[in-house]
Amino acid sequence: MIKTPDLIASLAASATPVRRLRPPVTRAACWLVLAAAVLTLLAIDQGIRPDLGRRLQDPAFAVSMAASLLTGVLAAIAAFLVSLPDRSRLWLLLPMPALVVWLSNIGYQCLIEWIAIGPDGVSFGEATRCFATLVLTSLPLSLAMLVMLRHAAPLRPTTVTLMGSLAVAAITATALSLLHATDATVMILMWNVGTAVLFVGLAGAFGRRMFRRVAPRTFAARD
Amino acid sequence: MTEEPRSRIPSLKLVGKDEFSERCASSRGYPAGQTKPVARDVDWTIFMARAQDGDGAAYRRLLEEIAPYLRSLAARRHRDASDIEDAVQDVLLTIHSIRHTYDPARPFAPWLVAIANRRFIDRLRRQGRVRARETSLTIEHETFSEPPANLLESSDRHELEGAINNLPPVQQQAIRLLKLKEMSLKEAATASGMSIASLKVATHRALKSLRKMLADRSDT
Repeated sequence: MIKTPDLIASLAASATPVRRLRPPVTRAACWLVLAAAVLTLLAIDQGIRPDLGRRLQDPAFAVSMAASLLTGVLAAIAAFLVSLPDRSRLWLLLPMPALVVWLSNIGYQCLIEWIAIGPDGVSFGEATRCFATLVLTSLPLSLAMLVMLRHAAPLRPTTVTLMGSLAVAAITATALSLLHATDATVMILMWNVGTAVLFVGLAGAFGRRMFRRVAPRTFAARD
Repeated sequence: MTEEPRSRIPSLKLVGKDEFSERCASSRGYPAGQTKPVARDVDWTIFMARAQDGDGAAYRRLLEEIAPYLRSLAARRHRDASDIEDAVQDVLLTIHSIRHTYDPARPFAPWLVAIANRRFIDRLRRQGRVRARETSLTIEHETFSEPPANLLESSDRHELEGAINNLPPVQQQAIRLLKLKEMSLKEAATASGMSIASLKVATHRALKSLRKMLADRSDT
């Protein structure tokens, strides 16, 4: 085993200048700008759902959408904050109020208008397009988040991944309700909660491994 | 969230009456007992900021100063001396790889302690897993690098040795280097001074005649 003084000497010898990270909120803002860009591109490509104006009049829909967007924004900020070693873990609570509003709103909608999907409620084609939106939104956002937070690998990988994927899931759910007319409640529930569970689950399963792959070299070599 | 399975580490003890801080203080011109923890934290902040700009000397000094401190932190969680040293080195490497995440506007010590705690806890968890799943080798499991210790078929071995000894010297050498010592063609060529082509030919012929010799013996 290498002796600690030798290690210190070799580390000091390889002390190349590094660029400091920008403040976490700024970095979260960068990521959110990317998210906005992805959403805009998708909206241009696929077109906003035709009845968006009318639907936004409906308070339940508007609240649910605002809450999911807010969850995304706050979860992104929280993820960037807790990825730094000296920030409190209490920041994880930041997106919780918005998350509660979002999920309870969906639950409430399910409760008051328990509509079964009609025979031609959701066609197969619509579901495929929904899936395309899901992948096109979440993939670039997840990858960007992974690279931007790679320094958290030796610190709090699981927590940071969960928070990051909550942000991705919330943004993706917002995109889905912006772009697709999936109003049957079961579909809402499936897409909203399903997306969230999907991403958080994937993150739990693969987060550490993915992080290890993009982690800074010295660390990856040891583990 | 599955953080901190143990009780949270007591908050920073940079100040202290412990021996280490006194030693540090006296080595830096403060009389023993009058440690200047705040000043030290400020020093560390400055060193780290310089290190981020590529100042190797400041970085070295910083690491040398924090190493004993990390050792005292590690000693609370690990008992084995080599474990403590490993843990300290792990933290030093981690600090090196994520030194860009430090913001010089904030105090250095909380950043350092947070990283150290995360690494120590990870290490304890890994050790726990290893202990739960693995059994370390005892002396009875050991084998020896000398081939006789690992070979059971000694009679076959004698027979083979005898057959090899009957080969012409060049073929003997080729078979010993390539097959018994398992060298590569290049290594064997360097060791014997023969060309790769002639080694190949010699091995081929040697195997052919060995096969014949051994087959003859088993027939009889």
